Amino acid sequence: MIQRLLPFLTLIVLFVGLTIASPFFLTQTNLSSVVRQTAVINIMALGMTLIIIAGGIDLSVGSILALGGLLGTMAMAQGYPIWVGIGVGVLAGLACGLANGVLTTQLNINPFIVTLGTMGIVRGLALIISNGLPVHQIPPRFSFLGEGTLFGLPFVLWVLLLCAVAMHILLENTRLGRHSFAIGSNPDAAYYAGIPVKFDTTIVYAIGGLLTGLAGMIEASRLMTGQPTAGNGYELQAIAAVVIGGGSLRGGEGSVVGTLIGAFIMGLLSNGSDLLGISPYVQQAIIGAVIILAVTFDELRKRKMTA
Amino acid sequence: MLLHLGGIQKRFGGVTALKNGSLSVRQGEVHLLLGENGAGKSTLMKIVAGLIAPDGGTFEWRGSPVRFRAPVEAAAHGIAMVHQESLLAPHLTIAENLFLGREEVCRAGLLKRSRMRERAAALIAQHKFPLQADWRVEKLTPAGKQLVEICRAVVSGSSLMIFDEPTSSLSESETREVFRIVRELRERGMAVIYITHRLEELRAVGDRVTILRDGETVHTAPLGEITNDEIIRQMVGREMSALYHREPAKVGEELLRVERISRKPLVKEVSLTLRAGEITGLAGLVGAGRSEFCRAVFGVDHADSGQVYIAGKPVEINSPRQAVQAGLALIPEDRQHYGLATLRPVGENISLASLPLVSTFGFLNQRAERRIIDTYMARLRIRAGSPKQLAGRLSGGNQQKAVIAKWVARRARVFLFDEPTRGIDVGAKAEVFQVMDELARSGAAILMVSSEIPELLQMADRILVMRQGRISGELPGRTTPEQIMRLAALETTTSEFAS
Ligand SMILES: Nc1ncnc2c1ncn2[C@@H]1O[C@H](COP(=O)(O)OP(=O)(O)OP(=O)(O)O)[C@@H](O)[C@H]1O
Ligand SMILES: [Mg+2]
Repeated sequence: MIQRLLPFLTLIVLFVGLTIASPFFLTQTNLSSVVRQTAVINIMALGMTLIIIAGGIDLSVGSILALGGLLGTMAMAQGYPIWVGIGVGVLAGLACGLANGVLTTQLNINPFIVTLGTMGIVRGLALIISNGLPVHQIPPRFSFLGEGTLFGLPFVLWVLLLCAVAMHILLENTRLGRHSFAIGSNPDAAYYAGIPVKFDTTIVYAIGGLLTGLAGMIEASRLMTGQPTAGNGYELQAIAAVVIGGGSLRGGEGSVVGTLIGAFIMGLLSNGSDLLGISPYVQQAIIGAVIILAVTFDELRKRKMTA
Repeated sequence: MLLHLGGIQKRFGGVTALKNGSLSVRQGEVHLLLGENGAGKSTLMKIVAGLIAPDGGTFEWRGSPVRFRAPVEAAAHGIAMVHQESLLAPHLTIAENLFLGREEVCRAGLLKRSRMRERAAALIAQHKFPLQADWRVEKLTPAGKQLVEICRAVVSGSSLMIFDEPTSSLSESETREVFRIVRELRERGMAVIYITHRLEELRAVGDRVTILRDGETVHTAPLGEITNDEIIRQMVGREMSALYHREPAKVGEELLRVERISRKPLVKEVSLTLRAGEITGLAGLVGAGRSEFCRAVFGVDHADSGQVYIAGKPVEINSPRQAVQAGLALIPEDRQHYGLATLRPVGENISLASLPLVSTFGFLNQRAERRIIDTYMARLRIRAGSPKQLAGRLSGGNQQKAVIAKWVARRARVFLFDEPTRGIDVGAKAEVFQVMDELARSGAAILMVSSEIPELLQMADRILVMRQGRISGELPGRTTPEQIMRLAALETTTSEFAS
């Protein structure tokens, strides 16, 4: 039991430790900046949780995030209203996810390979469309998405909570969620049970893409630019959040709460290192070590239950 | 005394697998270990083989206490085990699997590949198993894998050999070969521990018997001093008859008609009709194409030709999904592989095929789902800590029951049961038969594929026999084993063990 709570305890210890170590940590400005920073990865990681549970993986989310943000801001730069721009970004993400899903299920190629490919293709698309140049002419009110405040809390926190609750319900209370767990843990058994394995898998990737598109719009709103190079390396952070939170790359395991905790652990680690003046180089190594530790403890817990 | 276990205890989290497991095995004897599904037989044997550590109790090997921390330590004492679930590496060949962990290498450290292959081939030939050393294990049927497991143990064991339900997926002739191996091992002075649920094979091999019930050793006796009825009574803890008696139900309209369905290489123009209320038996030797026929009808494998009619209407079935929607259910033969999500809770496995029945607009109704789970866990007497226990942690027989529960919970109209009683204990067999009977009475049509001729005779209203991919005849339910064998028999050829 204690080991099951380990990620959560780690988060608490980090929180308390940082409160003691730095006077700047427990301030409203700092905490809301942590939330805003983490929200982007967090929302992507929610989609990744679903994908990983269904036995897949998506390496292209960093690129999708860039394409979504880019197309969304371009729409706004063309004079379309903000909500249309956001819609464009989200739909672009959905379309990319759908493409990933269709490619993996129809060509029957390992998703690692497929999304490694689309990671390059989508990034290339973003660079071609924008000619490598960021979009700047964005209506100022768009910054509310990433930087605004609602009822005293960062607006993105509300968005994140909404997504998290929706994903939790999807996983625990819908057929698609149950099918995802089944497909991830034994695709043959799922197929024999009459589950539309290919269709469901495609939807799973599409949902992942949709959330990534949304994350792309938040990122664009925070930076107030549409960057074709945004989100580089985010895929690994999203995967790390899922895995720290107890998700298994073998499929069939993972949870929304775990992923949220995983993402916040990483968020606090990088925020704490900034506050304590630890160099970004060391930060990278620390995060890497935490990933390995987290997975090790999780494996130990599982082994104890089996042996 | 070669092996002595006293008061062995083992808990897995909240589940007590063994409370008081005791067993003494002498050199040169075949010791039968019996008990219901989940009684703790496999757990006790895994302790002996060094796969799991006991929580308490005494474990003596040749008179001195031992404690194995890994299978290699047990192997070093000459103990080998044939596992209930296949523990082979699927992507390697049979020969590579046989020598896995004890590869022969030359002085430069390179593998002696051809020599190992020759030795493997010799071993296979010696036992006349229909296998070839360079076949990849993933292509084998469950029976083929079982034979490889047996060869593997024969290669490595030297003092004690443990067989955990070795014959549950084997044909008559292979079963006889396994018995021959067991007797040969005994003649060489080795001890054998043999677990089985097939009471009729006990007397063919055993010397003494130990019976486990709920994790406790309840009885040990020489086989000559105990009757089968007494064995069953000790196993289940109450009076029970090994024979299930079924009254035929009223036969209604035709539900499934298959016309000249073919699927290369094993199914050749098979036609049959299943009617409501009727249990139709499908007999045949292993490799006759019975499972392949079921898979083709269920849309797992695409039929090359032929037509399926449901309730008189032609239907197109190209995937299990379409089959399920047409009202079909298949309880597959290889239930570990095709039936169970081992890392998910038992409950979820049971409700998996029935989710459409308990959801509205894609949202699950947890209470309705729970009702299905509770009903069928109780009906099939699935022994688990709770519906939340991971399916992979159930005992072998309880895993089988969970898969059966999944399909009977889904209210299908036509059921294809492929070897429904494999690996389940006498008590559970009676439950499964009862469920089949109730399904038939409530108007379902049932095809019962079984290699257990006595069970077909107990259950089926009529029996079809398959031989080499074709229906070779139809017999009434009250036929004799000899009649069935006459229609089924023909020498098997090697190719039938790989798909
Ligand atoms: N790894 C595990 N984790 C949790 N429970 C376990 C584990 N392995 C076995 N059990 C439980 O221990 C009990 C005994 O299991 P075991 O496999 O020894 O039964 P068995 O006598 O071999 O039954 P069968 O005839 O079905 O093979 C079962 O209730 C099972 O659920
Ligand atoms: Mg067992």
